[in-house]
Amino acid sequence: MKEILRITIKLTITCLVAAFVMGSVFAFTYNAKKHNEHLNERQTMLGLIGYGRHNDAPSDLKLHTIYRYIIEDRGRLFLGYLVPVRKEREESHELLLVTVEGEFVKRLEAPLDPESAIEATARDEVLKRLLEAPKTFSYSDSTIIATVGSGRSAYLLPGRFPGFKTFIKVMLALDPAFNIVGLEIMEHEEDPGLGAEITKECFRNQFVGKPFERLKTLGVVKEPLPDEFRKALEREKWTGASISPEEVDRINKKYRDHDIYALTGATISSKSVTTGVGNMVKKFSYRVQALDRVIAAQKIPVTF
Amino acid sequence: MPATTKTSSQLVFDGILNENPIFRLALSMCPAVGISTTMMNGLLLGVAVLFVQVFSSCTIAAVKNFIHPRIRIPTYTLTIATWVTVIDLVLAAYVPGAYKQMGIFVKLIVAFAIITMRLETFACRNAVGPSFWDALGMGLGFMFGMVSIGFVRELLGQGTLLGFDVLGFQPLLFFALPAAGFFCVGIMMAIFNYVELVYNRRKAKNR
Repeated sequence: MKEILRITIKLTITCLVAAFVMGSVFAFTYNAKKHNEHLNERQTMLGLIGYGRHNDAPSDLKLHTIYRYIIEDRGRLFLGYLVPVRKEREESHELLLVTVEGEFVKRLEAPLDPESAIEATARDEVLKRLLEAPKTFSYSDSTIIATVGSGRSAYLLPGRFPGFKTFIKVMLALDPAFNIVGLEIMEHEEDPGLGAEITKECFRNQFVGKPFERLKTLGVVKEPLPDEFRKALEREKWTGASISPEEVDRINKKYRDHDIYALTGATISSKSVTTGVGNMVKKFSYRVQALDRVIAAQKIPVTF
Repeated sequence: MPATTKTSSQLVFDGILNENPIFRLALSMCPAVGISTTMMNGLLLGVAVLFVQVFSSCTIAAVKNFIHPRIRIPTYTLTIATWVTVIDLVLAAYVPGAYKQMGIFVKLIVAFAIITMRLETFACRNAVGPSFWDALGMGLGFMFGMVSIGFVRELLGQGTLLGFDVLGFQPLLFFALPAAGFFCVGIMMAIFNYVELVYNRRKAKNR
């Protein structure tokens, strides 16, 4: 009995010490990790729409985030869009309630500045005040609209979908006509050397330039990637080397309507990304057009 | 097993060659086969394993007198999990560039046999100093093994080395698949055994 007690106490102490160490390190590094994630996301977003080390973003480039919520009221589902608006000289937000078919229901003022809106807890507090019981809400996703001056230059969609193992988180960039201009894999747990190759340029860049109509039927082919296409895709690797920008354009045009070449030994991961990206674009195009109709009809002073 | 009498350089050297975890002890074969598709993967995983091995070995060596023999394995597992978590969080917070490349590998290390085995056979019987050198040798040996397998598989499977195109074509795509990992490990084990055989013969002849 004494022995069992001794073992239990020692094991408990070990677990408590391990939990304390991990908890302390987590608390100590949380802010720095969040800051890095935010910086990484912003860098990725600018990179996706063509701005980076070799091409500075214009001074009037702005990123506006729209947060989408699912709202339930007595068994009925609505969509709630928290959109940034300009009120006189201040920037604030409004919550637009629409039906799932895209018809306008209500608009409510949400006193949130753009910096505070980044924090989910701040948004939730405001929404709790605006949406009284029995209404309930849950966060769905967000969209970032890049504007240069007064015109929209790109849409940035963070998204996630099932991969071969768990989920794959991506950031997708679309032009105003919903054609893909960039794809970045943000997080994944695919197998290193196999599914993890989805992060490579030779896979991701196959999606760039794919027109919106083609995305609806885009599939995957289990054929080797043609050498000329590989060189055109691996832009960072071949920059200034043996392939000219005109040649890259010619090759990309040649394969623009082709299906995605699957990664060797990772067909499921390749199909997951292709299907996931296609679904993201299809759903987004439908929703943003419905939202734009509501904004135009209600004359909402959005910042984008 | 009594405490070691080897010097620090002997401990490190043994970990790299005589007691190489992949080619001699046949431990952690799963990452050796599954993750060694490129040299960079092998190098990054090797670095991560090195840190976890060293920190875990030193921790267990420091607290070995307080560990009850009946719960030593859960204690080792908790120690390894704690260090893996700490390294993961610190990398994510302060070295984001390295974390982007290594993050996925660090999380895998908790399940590696090599770490637990070394804590059981060495760290819990020796002081912190020898445990540090032994862990360093094991980590370097693992890194050496992963990089060598990665070298062969990346060169033959993709025609590249460290991501740079060397051959201009892919000689044998088969080497990118897990089955080829078994072949590579087996062949390199045979080479290691043969080199030892020749070395021992020459040593015996010289006597």
